[in-house]
Amino acid sequence: MGIMSISASTLPGAPGADPGPPAPGAGTAVAERPAEESLAQTPWVTIVWDDPVNLMSYVTHVFRTYFNYPKEKAEKLMLAVHQEGKAIVSSGGREQMERDVVAMHDYGLWATLDRADS
Amino acid sequence: MRRFRREGDVITTTMDADEVELLDSLAGQLVSMLSDDDEGDDGGDDDPFSFWARDLADDPDEPEVPDDPAVARLFPNAYPHDPQAASEFRRFTQVDLAQAKIDSAVVVQRGLAATENGRLPVRITDTEVTAWLKFFTNVRLVFAARLGIDDVESAERIAALPQNDPRSFMVSVYEWLGFAQETLVGAL
Repeated sequence: MGIMSISASTLPGAPGADPGPPAPGAGTAVAERPAEESLAQTPWVTIVWDDPVNLMSYVTHVFRTYFNYPKEKAEKLMLAVHQEGKAIVSSGGREQMERDVVAMHDYGLWATLDRADS
Repeated sequence: MRRFRREGDVITTTMDADEVELLDSLAGQLVSMLSDDDEGDDGGDDDPFSFWARDLADDPDEPEVPDDPAVARLFPNAYPHDPQAASEFRRFTQVDLAQAKIDSAVVVQRGLAATENGRLPVRITDTEVTAWLKFFTNVRLVFAARLGIDDVESAERIAALPQNDPRSFMVSVYEWLGFAQETLVGAL
């Protein structure tokens, strides 16, 4: 079992940390979409939600690395996530957004996708 | 351990034998958590990892939201407003995503093994560094779920626990993992 267990039975008294469905409300920061894509062709968005675990430096690194965003844009989006609770980090077709969400989950970020107009 | 720092083509640090053993143990547990196999040496209802096997094996065609909050956080609900789409998303992505998280942990275990119990420095190449970053993230997410950290308030509460609290060692490891990851990002 090793010297420290991280299994579910480690701390039976600890409250759960199910993020649950995100609450509506807080403002959403919008990343500029690539100019060549029109709204009609980009009806889906990838949303990254704030969590108390991921480091600000790491979240910025992910936005720079995966989306290839310049440093300033990556930092702006990271701050929007941190301060406003969430940010739209990409937009496009549904399949692309699903790929982006899986990539965010692979990096350990809490991401969802949704219709752009909802 | 000291902070990670770049030395030419690699990012390096030193860890003592206890730190290597701890990190290797956490990587092994993460792999077990994410592996849907019953060949563990303990098994049974007491098997701390059986929850994952249950979550995946009950009905692989109808993956439900995992019961375990740590697993739920590693595999977030992509469609919070659409249960059917959420279920389909899990069905198409969960196995590959779990494998990716396993692969990252294995990269870390290999790097730790190369230190010969901390006698040699940890050396991370540019092709390995993403795996290390993802691994630190995954383990910290599991720790946070176990500690009940799910917002700023709970994070502050946990950080301020008295030393005699039974969770304080886990908190100190969680903070150590954060330090390691922060300095690894800084060394990129």
